[in-house]
Amino acid sequence: MADHHEFESPVDLASGEPLGHPLRWTTAIIAITSLFLLATNAISLREWIDEQTPGPRQAQLAALAERWDAFTLSIGLGLPRAVLHREWKAAEAARFGHQPADQR
Amino acid sequence: MLFPTLTFGLFFLCVYVLVWTVGSRDNEWRKILLLIASWIFYGAWDWRFVALLIGSALINWSLARAIASSGSTDDEHERDEDAPSGEKTQAYRRKMLVALGVAANLLILGFFKYYDFFLGEVAPLLTDVGFGRDLPLLQVVLPVGISFFTFQGMSYMIDVYRGRVRPASLLDITLLMSFFPHLVAGPIVRAAHLVPQFQKVPKLDRGMAAMALLLIIWGLFKKAVIASELATQFVDPVFFDPSAYGSGDLIFAAYGYAVQIYCDFSAYSDMAIGLAALLGYRFPRNFDQPYRAVSLQDFWRRWHISLSSWLRDYLYIGLGGNRGGILYICRNLMITMLLGGIWHGAKWTFLIWGGLHGLVLSLERIWREVKPWRWSLPRPIGLLITFHIVVLGWIFFRADSFDGALDYLSGIARWTGKATMITPLGLGLVLIGLAMHLGPPRLMPALAIRLRRVPAPVVGLLAGVAILLIDAMRFEGVAPFIYYQF
Repeated sequence: MADHHEFESPVDLASGEPLGHPLRWTTAIIAITSLFLLATNAISLREWIDEQTPGPRQAQLAALAERWDAFTLSIGLGLPRAVLHREWKAAEAARFGHQPADQR
Repeated sequence: MLFPTLTFGLFFLCVYVLVWTVGSRDNEWRKILLLIASWIFYGAWDWRFVALLIGSALINWSLARAIASSGSTDDEHERDEDAPSGEKTQAYRRKMLVALGVAANLLILGFFKYYDFFLGEVAPLLTDVGFGRDLPLLQVVLPVGISFFTFQGMSYMIDVYRGRVRPASLLDITLLMSFFPHLVAGPIVRAAHLVPQFQKVPKLDRGMAAMALLLIIWGLFKKAVIASELATQFVDPVFFDPSAYGSGDLIFAAYGYAVQIYCDFSAYSDMAIGLAALLGYRFPRNFDQPYRAVSLQDFWRRWHISLSSWLRDYLYIGLGGNRGGILYICRNLMITMLLGGIWHGAKWTFLIWGGLHGLVLSLERIWREVKPWRWSLPRPIGLLITFHIVVLGWIFFRADSFDGALDYLSGIARWTGKATMITPLGLGLVLIGLAMHLGPPRLMPALAIRLRRVPAPVVGLLAGVAILLIDAMRFEGVAPFIYYQF
């Protein structure tokens, strides 16, 4: 009885020489990505906290997130996301030449 | 709890840390942690469904054990006239047990998915023949992902019966069916794929982690940007009221839905595979550039591979598969595809979708058998024809009703040419969705091979920039994945 049936997985890569500390490497990536997003995407955190069930703790966290969002914006960290989002909204609103802007 | 949300992101961070710290000391504890996490994930929809999940796992685990303890794992004794009567009895007992298990699984699935539909269809028939009654419609709430975990449990039990896998522990089987990355929308991961991985301490290597991160980010882009934008801005409004739009819009929305459903469903699979890989587990491939297919048979080797291979192994082959004459093969194809259609839900439109695929698969089969000429269709022509048959099927699949699908098709046939919905962004997204099928098939693994050598801070920043870009483009809010309803 064969218990292990071979199958192809997208995460199977051609084997190379083993590279050290895979777990540490992966964890560092996740940590750096999270910190980067915390600094540059504070608005998403703020919006997420605003959506949570209202309560004293939620209100505290919301105030904190709002301050953090304002701070990251004031030092320019939140700017790239804001600009990108504005550009995306402009792309959403764009129409072909023959279409009136309010058509749809 | 939807994958592309901050709630899930925080949940996954906690699971990742716990599994690789507390769980790393003992594999059994790791599995218990994963099981609890999976129940929390599933319970976020409705805690009652967790009880159903546990109950389903218990049924399949106990029946598989009973089957395994009933002697030989093949049917030799049953077929062998000279076999001792005790062994014949055991073989009969095993057959009865597996039949009971299949019936129990189908009953659970049937009750939740088809009970109200069945009564709704039967009521007018009873009235027509003079037996009109108020039938007890229950407004049954469909547990998310029930089709997926039921198929997984059922295939485990059948595999034990066929002698393909050994019976596993209750913990392994419950985790197999509950494991949160695949729980609600697949891929359908079989016991033979996952249980042996559960029985060993999982290992992570840099290549696996790099590929996992790429899959998660790519999945986020496909779901949060392409699928959500196309759904909310173009596809949903047109399918809601096809009569309000011209043929140009209807055709565009049909192509849009083909891209949306691919980006939606393959995104879930990509993220599921990536999340499982970050926890050290491998899942099978579920999509392989499906709109690149040059025949419908080819399409089903590329689309929802875990379901098509499940239907092939447990239904099509069970019906006789490719044995017998061409008529038997076509019958088996039709039955398989009709049941595959109804697996998606209790709607006539799904049945017609399955029927269309079954019919075309049968025609392809007949063509191969009796081909009067030696030539085959040039590949680009085959690709175009296959794609448009698939798109035609998607119109039935997406339409709210059979009449809605017919309205949609008659709107296209009227050919007014009017197209007010197409915007530069919408057109761009549809083209990107189609272009994904023309790229090199193994582009992402090649990228991951390079990425695994890059220092973690650089990869972390790159991943952060990619997610920031996606978040800036995403549509406000995240719609549930299409396949959650199945």
